[in-house]
Amino acid sequence: MTSILENIVAPGSIDFMLNIGIILLKIAIVIGMGLLHVAYATYFERKVIGHMQVRLGPREVGPLGLLQPIADGVKLFFKEDIIPSESDKPIFYLSPVIFFISALTSLSVIPFFDGFVIADINIGLLFLFAMSSLAAYGIVMSGWSSGSKYSFLGGLRSASQVISYEIAMGLSLVGVMIMAGSLNLTEIVRAQQAYPLGIFAIPQFIGFFVFVVAAFAETNRLPFDLPEAESELVAGYFTEYSGFRFALFFLGEYTGMLVMSSIASVCFLGGWGLPGFITSNLPVFAWKALGLAFFLVKVYAFMFLYYWVRATLPRYRYDQLMAIGWKLLLPLALANIVLTGLVKIWMKGLL
Amino acid sequence: MTTNKFFRMIFFVEIAKGMALTLKTMFTPPVTRRYPLVKRPVQPGFRGLHALAKNEEGKLKCVGCGLCGAYCPSQCIHIYTTEGEDHNKVVDRYEIEVLRCVYCGLCVEACPFGAISLSEHYEYSGYTREEFYMTKEKLLENWDKYFGGDKGARYYRDFWRPKSEDFTAHEGQAMFSKVKVKGKE
Repeated sequence: MTSILENIVAPGSIDFMLNIGIILLKIAIVIGMGLLHVAYATYFERKVIGHMQVRLGPREVGPLGLLQPIADGVKLFFKEDIIPSESDKPIFYLSPVIFFISALTSLSVIPFFDGFVIADINIGLLFLFAMSSLAAYGIVMSGWSSGSKYSFLGGLRSASQVISYEIAMGLSLVGVMIMAGSLNLTEIVRAQQAYPLGIFAIPQFIGFFVFVVAAFAETNRLPFDLPEAESELVAGYFTEYSGFRFALFFLGEYTGMLVMSSIASVCFLGGWGLPGFITSNLPVFAWKALGLAFFLVKVYAFMFLYYWVRATLPRYRYDQLMAIGWKLLLPLALANIVLTGLVKIWMKGLL
Repeated sequence: MTTNKFFRMIFFVEIAKGMALTLKTMFTPPVTRRYPLVKRPVQPGFRGLHALAKNEEGKLKCVGCGLCGAYCPSQCIHIYTTEGEDHNKVVDRYEIEVLRCVYCGLCVEACPFGAISLSEHYEYSGYTREEFYMTKEKLLENWDKYFGGDKGARYYRDFWRPKSEDFTAHEGQAMFSKVKVKGKE
């Protein structure tokens, strides 16, 4: 195999080519599995909310309705793609792609289990913030280009909401950065092993609370789903989208939720981290698989919280939303940073 | 702000209560009825699709008096009769516009002979209005379909039998021939 490759490409570049091949394979796996999880997250949501409202949820397509997400996908794919004549065409085409890609790109820095991450970069957390704010551009551009007042208002609301809550969310994770001493997500998972239960959520409970609330607002989910408030704005920024372009927004939103759940899992709930006695007694493959399962359980627990809150709480008013963001979460996050910093200095014996 | 109020605010007591309620609801059995698979049992005396009753000989019970059509509040019963041999009334056409019917059951109460009845059948659908325009033939067919057997006979006897069978009238009072008259068994 190696000799054949050496005849095709210049010697020395084989490692390089193999690396690229491995990375492409990883990307394919992550996108494939990610989208599968996104599809079944919708099924999970409909089931959970259905049962919370004393209904059944999807039951008819396939056994227990398990093929429902696939049927939905097929339906969306074959629906007519309507483009409003008043719309700004190039931006209208571009914005769902921006939204979807920025959500999907976030998956590349998340460590799913020990050693499995597409891009193990040192600024992982910063990259996630960047991507989640980039998604807001997709929303604003779609709202602007649709040529509809509902879309426009949805886009504006989303922009102000995402910008307000991004600050609180970024600051809530600064506590984690101080404790872990790194922005690399794998390092953050490793750093949590030294703490009780292997999670940051206990020492960083204020940060975790701020993060949870900000994550709801950041992904435009209830109780902060003002950008797509059905009762006021039809469907908000994607009112004018149909067919596959709508599907991109839909997938992007659920991928965003999955990414937020993954950040919560990695930064606050220990990610794939396992106690030392398991890693030392089990074969490598077994404990890595266990770590992945552990990670997924945490992600789905957080997703369940999303659905649970959606089934329970009504939507906040817009001024309440802004008041929570600026008057409650921001001071809390700042206080958390000061507190964490002081404790860290005290532990090092510098205070 | 009292201490209690402050405590309730920072620990989201109200929200926690709501969340606990939804979580509890999640494990209660759903109230959804999976309709085409699990059918809702009809209540006794349900007023569904119409049928024209047949007598023991399998002939039409209706004599064409037109009382049902006269009573019908939505005026959806049309009866056309002609004079037959030996001056009998012959019912040529007996038609019900089912889409206009309000299922009040007054036609049944009006009929002195129990010639029209309402079956338990309620699942009918179609693509054209003609399918819901019930002719005499269709109505007689409905009788065979929904009032056949013991169950159908019991249903008819319990709910759609002519009310006049329970009446007793004064002697000399003008009544239909089948009505029992007091003292004249």
